[in-house]
Amino acid sequence: MGLDAWSLVLIFEVVVFLSMFPLLVFGWLMGARGRDPIRDAPFESGQPRMGEARRRYMMQYYPYLIMFVAFDVVTMFLFTWGLAFSAMPFAQGYLFIIFLVVLVGPLSYALYLSGKRELW
Amino acid sequence: MTGLLALPTLHDILGFVLRIITSRTFLEVIIFPGFLNVMLGAAFLTWFERKVIARVQLRIGPLYAGMSGILQPIADGVKLMFKEMIFPELADMKLLMACALGLMLVAAAPVIVIPFGEGWVIANMDAGLIFVFAVISLFPSLILLIGWGSNSKYSFLGALRSLFQQVAYEIPMWLSVLGIVMLTGTLNLTEIVLAQQRVWFIVPQILGFAVFFTAVLAELERIPFDLPEAETELVMGWMTELSGVAFMLGFLAMYTKLYLMSALITALFLGGWSGPSILPQPVWFLIKTFLVAAVIVIIRGTFPRVRVDILLRAGWSKLLLIALANVFVTVIIIWLGFGSMWGI
Amino acid sequence: MISGLVVASAIYALEAHELVYGAVGLAISLIGVAGLFVLLGADYLAIFQVAVYVGAVVVLIMFTIMLVRRERGEPLEVEEPIRLGRAGIYVAVMVALAVAAAMVLIVPVSVEAPEFYRPPIRELASSLSASHAVALVVLGFLIVATVVGGLTLAKVEREERSGGAA
Repeated sequence: MGLDAWSLVLIFEVVVFLSMFPLLVFGWLMGARGRDPIRDAPFESGQPRMGEARRRYMMQYYPYLIMFVAFDVVTMFLFTWGLAFSAMPFAQGYLFIIFLVVLVGPLSYALYLSGKRELW
Repeated sequence: MTGLLALPTLHDILGFVLRIITSRTFLEVIIFPGFLNVMLGAAFLTWFERKVIARVQLRIGPLYAGMSGILQPIADGVKLMFKEMIFPELADMKLLMACALGLMLVAAAPVIVIPFGEGWVIANMDAGLIFVFAVISLFPSLILLIGWGSNSKYSFLGALRSLFQQVAYEIPMWLSVLGIVMLTGTLNLTEIVLAQQRVWFIVPQILGFAVFFTAVLAELERIPFDLPEAETELVMGWMTELSGVAFMLGFLAMYTKLYLMSALITALFLGGWSGPSILPQPVWFLIKTFLVAAVIVIIRGTFPRVRVDILLRAGWSKLLLIALANVFVTVIIIWLGFGSMWGI
Repeated sequence: MISGLVVASAIYALEAHELVYGAVGLAISLIGVAGLFVLLGADYLAIFQVAVYVGAVVVLIMFTIMLVRRERGEPLEVEEPIRLGRAGIYVAVMVALAVAAAMVLIVPVSVEAPEFYRPPIRELASSLSASHAVALVVLGFLIVATVVGGLTLAKVEREERSGGAA
């Protein structure tokens, strides 16, 4: 059967779904009983529940997420470059290297500084 | 079938179904290296890990279910299916169940492009390598949703830690294989394995291997990076509020990830299915994969845990820079002309 | 069919009362867009679309939604949007769909997707880095600038906080 790659992706995912979903249904049918305040309390190692769950945790790590988005895109471009690297004439290769150096230099300096002064 | 309105005969239907079942594609997708392979591999690894960890900790591990406890995973699965799925009162049941299912869908997906032998791939995608990475990048959002949907401090905090950990190590993971991509000029995993016929990539890309292996440990949330789970602190982190079948799906997803990431490491760095022809190719592939998994499991029993801020900083600075250094080394390798060993 | 999914989940993303569900709707919509890319023959792009958008941007959005609170400590609620704007969007979508349907039905266009040129990835990468190298480099620097800017902002905020406490 001449199926192309993406149809196979779909088929496989459908197979996984069809095999896992009935398990969920089965488990749901097996257990559905009334709601019980004690049983339904979130797990706090035996203590009675206190405090609202959704607060501003870990907000100080927000810059990491921003960096992630930026680097995700940079990585995409690096891959594009890297794929064609061996076929490129030297001149283009140099551009790639320079880009990496300019990337690495300030970045490592910034990270070093932040480590030294305990920033974020 | 004569004409559109004539119903196909039973003979036709049977013939159709038979043709599908015996087709190579079906075999690949469902049995090997597809669905059955993934399920058996993941289940086997749950037993494997418990046994190995036990031995490391001078215990014995599962013993009663079948010979040496090998049927333990089946016992676990059956038990979990019959347990009631308890969710906290304000938690979003539907979201949690849907995301647990999503976890399995995402965890199993990489197998579609990983070659277990020459020609033993479900879909030989030209962009296979980045397909795997794109799939992996879907995990943080699922974990966030589960942690948030649990409406529990422990779960949510665990999910956040997990999110930052995975996000921090995804970039070094990507960059560490850039060297391989440069040496082979392709993202097709089968071609990458084929390119290693003379020398496995672990040799020229030793830095890349080190980074990739470390990053995979972080992505799998395994020791020394298991802070999101932190059994003594956060119970089970973002999976705390999952129970019954939902938990089973999450738990299975973790081991599916372990299996498939080990397979990926084998394909990328250890030459995939290459080995003397006394054994068939898929067997070599599986041997190497389970060796990698064994190392990962042993590491779990051996190392202490890393603190979260050190973890994040290490990922973002040191690992990232080592990965980039690997790229520079690769550039030198290519420019010195050694690239021909791998097909450039 | 896939475009229907994209539009439907986008509409849901706008209308959902729970903001987090809106983010999920966005994620589904973006995956649908990746599907469209695949149908058009751009495998490479589709995969990166998923990795970058769904993997990173959606995560960022969800994180922000989940952690931002109003002063009273309640989660963000969606206010009733302006009636006119809402109606306007629906009208626009309806018009677009009607035009598309009309085009398909009136003009005899074959339903088969045309064979798009699917370049092998290496060729794609080659031409991209060759002819557009300058653009790529500029983009790269732009992104690095973003990162540095973000870090600086975080640093300033941190200093303000500790400066105020001292």
